[in-house]
Amino acid sequence: MGNKDLELLISLQDIDLMIEEAEEVEKLGFSITGCSELKIAREELAEKINKPLLYRYERLRGKLKRAIVPVKNDICLGCFLRQPTSVCAQGREGLDLFTCENCGRMLYWLD
Amino acid sequence: MQTINLSTHFKEALFIPEMKATSKEEALEELLDLFVEEKYVKDKHLVLDMLHQRERLGSTALGKGVAVPHGRTIATGDVIIAFGRSTTGVDFGADDGAPVTLFFMVIAPPNDEGNIYLPVLGSLVTILKDAKKRKKLNSIQTFDEFIAVINGE
Repeated sequence: MGNKDLELLISLQDIDLMIEEAEEVEKLGFSITGCSELKIAREELAEKINKPLLYRYERLRGKLKRAIVPVKNDICLGCFLRQPTSVCAQGREGLDLFTCENCGRMLYWLD
Repeated sequence: MQTINLSTHFKEALFIPEMKATSKEEALEELLDLFVEEKYVKDKHLVLDMLHQRERLGSTALGKGVAVPHGRTIATGDVIIAFGRSTTGVDFGADDGAPVTLFFMVIAPPNDEGNIYLPVLGSLVTILKDAKKRKKLNSIQTFDEFIAVINGE
């Protein structure tokens, strides 16, 4: 897992959240024409992510609003559980992908 | 959708009973200026650009004389709403062609705590679907009268 994959996953989640919100806003009666373009951009981005990682992300997204969340001051900002020091030390290097032992979300480090 | 106390998102300083705007562009700017004057928004041009981009995706006019320009921006920290009424009406590109007299501008941060942005929009739309409430909103004079309509009194 390199930083590139991490960046792609975070971008993918941003687009997914945008699509989700646009669809909710549309349901309220507002017109939004750009949704299909967002979905195309989403698919193009998803193709660049390795399949097992993408599958893992999509499975998590099926259960949770955010599948990948930041860790700040050693705290997972998805469930607010403190992460083990050893995990944080490796996580900050950004070479491997870690998941929160409590909520299962994928993690990235802000500090 | 979670229950929202909509009235807490309105401020008297963000209330214009008689708007001066005669065009869509002027209406967006007149409402946004309230946020800027009251320091709810840090960067006017950033927000104006966001609102224009949102309008390009589809008019935020809902028909029946109502428009709810809305969007998320890093230039604010709270979900906040400005209300403006135009007695003459403004062409806002509504599907039904009706000029807009009731404006609700909703500005939210990129990640609002408690995810209230969509419930706020939803609550507003529910109120504005009610013809009696729209009629009342078109005749109110003061902020207190306005809040009373929002609260369903």
